Amino acid sequence: MSSSDDPFDLAILGGGPAGYVAAISAAQRGARVVLVEKQRVGGTCLNVGCIPTKVLATAAELLYRAKHAGEMGLAIPRADVDLPALMGRKRAVVDQLVGGVEQLLRARRITLVRGTAMLVRPDALRIVADEGGVRELLAGRVILAPGSVVAEPPIEGRSLPGVMTSTEALEIGQVPPRLVVIGGGVIGMEFACIYEALGSQVTVLEMADSVLANATDDAIAKRLYLLLRRRGMDIQTGTTVRHIERHGEVLRVVSTGPNGEIASEAERVLLAIGRWPNTQGMGFSELGLRMNGRAIAVDERLATSLPNVWAAGDVVGGWMLAHKAMVEGRIAAENALGGQRRADDRITPSVIYTRPEIASAGLTEAQARSRGADVKVTQFPFSANPRARIIGEIDGFVRLVCEAGSGKVLGVHILGAHATDLIAEGTLAVQLGLTADDLAWTTHAHPTLPEAMLEAALGFGDGAIHVLSR
Amino acid sequence: MPEYMETMIDKFTFRVATDRLYASDGVWVFWVQPEDKTHVRVGLSDFLQQRSGDVAFVSVKPPGTTLAAGDDLAEIETIKVNVALPSPVGGTVVEVNKALELNPEIVNQDPYGKGWLAVIEIGNWEGERAKLLDPQAYFSLMRQQAEQEAKQL
Repeated sequence: MSSSDDPFDLAILGGGPAGYVAAISAAQRGARVVLVEKQRVGGTCLNVGCIPTKVLATAAELLYRAKHAGEMGLAIPRADVDLPALMGRKRAVVDQLVGGVEQLLRARRITLVRGTAMLVRPDALRIVADEGGVRELLAGRVILAPGSVVAEPPIEGRSLPGVMTSTEALEIGQVPPRLVVIGGGVIGMEFACIYEALGSQVTVLEMADSVLANATDDAIAKRLYLLLRRRGMDIQTGTTVRHIERHGEVLRVVSTGPNGEIASEAERVLLAIGRWPNTQGMGFSELGLRMNGRAIAVDERLATSLPNVWAAGDVVGGWMLAHKAMVEGRIAAENALGGQRRADDRITPSVIYTRPEIASAGLTEAQARSRGADVKVTQFPFSANPRARIIGEIDGFVRLVCEAGSGKVLGVHILGAHATDLIAEGTLAVQLGLTADDLAWTTHAHPTLPEAMLEAALGFGDGAIHVLSR
Repeated sequence: MPEYMETMIDKFTFRVATDRLYASDGVWVFWVQPEDKTHVRVGLSDFLQQRSGDVAFVSVKPPGTTLAAGDDLAEIETIKVNVALPSPVGGTVVEVNKALELNPEIVNQDPYGKGWLAVIEIGNWEGERAKLLDPQAYFSLMRQQAEQEAKQL
């Protein structure tokens, strides 16, 4: 074993959105940084999460649009998926972005160590390097950012051929005629929509009484459920999966629903019950690192229970979102270098790439009411928005959850085309404590989708201009 | 099949089923079993559904919800109009019409039949009954409302 005589200012365990952003942020402040990553930089998001799923979702969306081109006055005689080309493009986009991150790390003179890290002391990591050999890295400060792993449900038959996790569902050789998705959360519903657009008949089995339970406002989850059911997707809520069987080429998922036992058959099954913080095998329990359930416990400044050790990203629990991880990476880096920035006073928007898309910032109506707020909810449908008509995407609405007296915007929830882009205005409104009046008196360009935000805000006062309420 | 009173106003025909009672805003009340006055089915009159337009979504308060007469029972969404429907009677929602989830157009196609919204269990039928209009009274009121709307056009 060799030991570095020259300690780093900061060692970061994990090169995903929390880790690499922390590394760059610390390097920008002049710190000598080492980043340890056992796979490729970019983490789940870049390699097997946000980025590749959105490449597939974009292609699926285009395919759907091409198949419905006649509605737009276009003659596209035949639109098909070219799966090898699509997989190739997905890999190319991921490779470009991973390469970009590596380039940034090099340019910032960050030492990238490829290997598996273990925290042996609060100021030392033991690295089993990819190319062999074990070394110890010393650092004055450590940020733990090992991310998350796919949650493994205790379902009999989960290892059968044809049963996939989200990682495998990103790399397929053919589109299955039928797909059963176990789990109607964010990951499950995104894949359900992607495979549906690629041509699979999709069944979703969800244990809760609603899809996207706790992931967005109830009204949005309910509306998505109706839209997908009307498109022909089979969604069974209140349904617990018992086991998976294989009969020749066909998988059969046996579950118990409100009306008794259901057997759902498909060529592929996707397990999408969520992700867990990645905390095993890195020496955390040996050092007595305090946990919060499955996650590493941190204070409001992301400090762990160990001296000079911070944590950021999926491993601290809460929303497992790359943009939350990135902000936390910046905060952890700043605080590790002497800063005092808080991580708990920040609005984290959530984005869900279903079709149509969903995005939320701030409190849902139920959350606001449970906190005792006197709430007024106002909503505007995209069917009354000219731009939505032009692009032929009229499903969904903007929903504002406001404080009844002041009109302060507590939450913004959007279902509809480009919701994930539109939420930026909502995030800003909630973060800055703006009122519905502030939004309603901000001139929004016409004809654009953000006008729906203005109209929803008008609904708080005298009422929207372009929709009637009786 | 119910019998109807019918009127034509400005090219539109409006029908009022004669076998049930009405709130003045056009929500009808029909007892589920003739001998059982505790459970009523409610829905939109022909005039109310035509005035609302093509229904895209119907959102009814879930079973278990307790309402006073006049409280919002349901919201109907058409392309340009959101219509809040007050409950015609006080009571507890015990059933909602699931068929409207996938096929809300039934409200327009069969407002007095398959397009019903909910079943409500009411405590005091006689008390609730007093607030409702019989078909003849609603028919006259509806004609006035329809003629007034036609004049505004």
